[in-house]
Amino acid sequence: MLALDLLINGLIYGCFYALTAVGLAMIFGVLKVVNFAHGEFFMIGAYTYVLVSLKLGVSPWIALPGAAIAGALLGWVVERLLMRPLYAGYASWGFMKDEYAVVVTFGLSLLLINLVDKTVGPYSFRGPSLVDFGRFALGPVMLTGQKAIAALVAVALMVGLALFIRRSVWGLQIQAVAQNRLGASLAGIDATRTTSLIFVISGALAALSGALLAPLVNPSPDIGAFPAIKSFVIVVLGGMGSIWGAMIAALIIGVAEAFFSVYISYDYRDAFGLIVLVAVLLFRPQGLLGEKGREL
Amino acid sequence: MIVSRIRSLATLAAAAGFALPALAQQNPILIGVSLTQSPPGSVVQGTQVKDGMEILKDIVNAKGGVLGRQIRILYEDNQGIPEKGRAAVEKLISSDKVVALAGGHQSSVCLAEIEVAHRLKVPYVNTNCWSDDVRKRGYPEVFNTSPYNTLVSSSMASTLATMGVKRVVAFAENTDYGIGQAKLTGEMLKQNAPQIEYKYETLDRTSKDFTAAVLPLRANPPDVIVLSMLPPAAYLVMNQVYEQGVAPSAKTILYDGAGLADYPDFWQNVKESGKYLLSFALYHPQMKQTPLATQIAAEYKKRTGSDINRLVLQAADSLELVIQGIETAKSTDADKLIKAMQTMKFDSLRGISNFSTAPGHSYQQWLEVPYVNYELTAEKQPIAQTVLIQAPGQKFDPAKIVRPK
Repeated sequence: MLALDLLINGLIYGCFYALTAVGLAMIFGVLKVVNFAHGEFFMIGAYTYVLVSLKLGVSPWIALPGAAIAGALLGWVVERLLMRPLYAGYASWGFMKDEYAVVVTFGLSLLLINLVDKTVGPYSFRGPSLVDFGRFALGPVMLTGQKAIAALVAVALMVGLALFIRRSVWGLQIQAVAQNRLGASLAGIDATRTTSLIFVISGALAALSGALLAPLVNPSPDIGAFPAIKSFVIVVLGGMGSIWGAMIAALIIGVAEAFFSVYISYDYRDAFGLIVLVAVLLFRPQGLLGEKGREL
Repeated sequence: MIVSRIRSLATLAAAAGFALPALAQQNPILIGVSLTQSPPGSVVQGTQVKDGMEILKDIVNAKGGVLGRQIRILYEDNQGIPEKGRAAVEKLISSDKVVALAGGHQSSVCLAEIEVAHRLKVPYVNTNCWSDDVRKRGYPEVFNTSPYNTLVSSSMASTLATMGVKRVVAFAENTDYGIGQAKLTGEMLKQNAPQIEYKYETLDRTSKDFTAAVLPLRANPPDVIVLSMLPPAAYLVMNQVYEQGVAPSAKTILYDGAGLADYPDFWQNVKESGKYLLSFALYHPQMKQTPLATQIAAEYKKRTGSDINRLVLQAADSLELVIQGIETAKSTDADKLIKAMQTMKFDSLRGISNFSTAPGHSYQQWLEVPYVNYELTAEKQPIAQTVLIQAPGQKFDPAKIVRPK
């Protein structure tokens, strides 16, 4: 029974990890840079959800899309003001692209953490639950209403994202830009607009993940560190830039952490993800779905 | 001629009379405080320490300051990182020329900072570093108005023995404070109540999901789960222990060793999980209050809207020790200040009169830190309305413990 408990809880947390990590994977897939402020997109979503619902007295179901909008807006602003120099009209910066991205996104991360710390305060908040029922037993597994509903919403969002990428025109454009930015531009796709769209989606997904987890992880200004570190591991494990790889890797990490920490040692819980990563990279340096999975 | 000289002297004296307060203003006594003002350390604690210091400083300065000079506190943000704390203290002493340091509130940081204070021979007042190691180093510059792990662990071990429980599991955060407290509690139980089966699990304080540590307890719940953890991780453990139906329950008591309900953000983070929490605490309104403590409590309420808590008082007490040390020594010289603090009778906010000179965990420690044990019996319950299981100076009464049905 303990094993089933661990499996379910591991899968649930894997879904949350996946929701956060796919945005990071999408940005890497298109721009080939790592967004070190990705965790702060999560934090902004969590805070928007908590503050809108608690301070304004709005229903959590309205605060949830509010968080997504805040994350999307932040993503759009970040792309427009900070990331666009990477590919639009700043040719001489091309050779320092990686350094630029690291410095800018890391700086943004520190700015957002301290901004929230100074404006909202250092105290953590537990977000309101999306549903009224508390804990309940599902067979041998004990869950809370919030955890169950948040997991369902996370799965629905990932299915929606998969359909969007595979079926919609915008999704096909994203795939094209990820495969060959110049080629896509020559074919008439507005690569700049597509990149902007990716940041909007990435920001919205990370913010939604933050909002869904807000009742479970009690957001504080530094809350973004935890999903960011997990997301980096997941993106590398799944294959840099692969959305599907990120989803699979997230579930593997969630389940591995749950089992290893009980059957080996809880002390090294966060190290297990890294051990899995090293083990996989030894045999598949490109990650689980690298190369082939590079097409989005 | 003589009249003219007298006039000149009178003018000079008058000018000096006007200039002296200005000089005092320009030449304040500098006291250094290294605390956490930004993550990853406990900004919550840092904020309370700063609040306590600022209130007392304003009260003292409004009365004319110390030795005719105003007090000025220089704050440095150590982010809860030992290396940054060490650098902050080095700067405060070497560059800013502070006469003393106070405000340390995280054991790992304190342990790094006292090395610098000891090397540069500047007094260091420990506000809230519980780890016994801070005392065991035996540095004459370090004074401890803070609670200490041996006190908390011996009290908790005694409480567990009194409760007559058989099996106890402790969750300890992976810090000098958490591990130190969990280990000590185990050692004291082994000495005083060997029949109690005890084990502790170390949890990463930066983690957000502790379910895997909690799940194995569902099949075989212990009689008591002890929390040697600080917020925000402690809140998450409480929530997840509750969500899994492990504690608080009719079988299992959740026993907090850090006075969690004292934190202003306690109820907004734990909600229903906080009900039935048994708590070892260092502040309760029923404890004896000095007039200055009452004044600080009123001012804190005015400034923050929150009720006073033990950390604000501890912070004020550590600054008060430096102030009284300067008044007793009639000097800000470090050697004289240390000597004065070692020998004077300290008229504190919480009953500290002097410091022990015994080596080990007692060294320059205020030993008789008052404490209580109370239970939260309703959601959002203010501390004043909690059920006192052990009133100040009284024995622990397990019959008063209320368990969920």
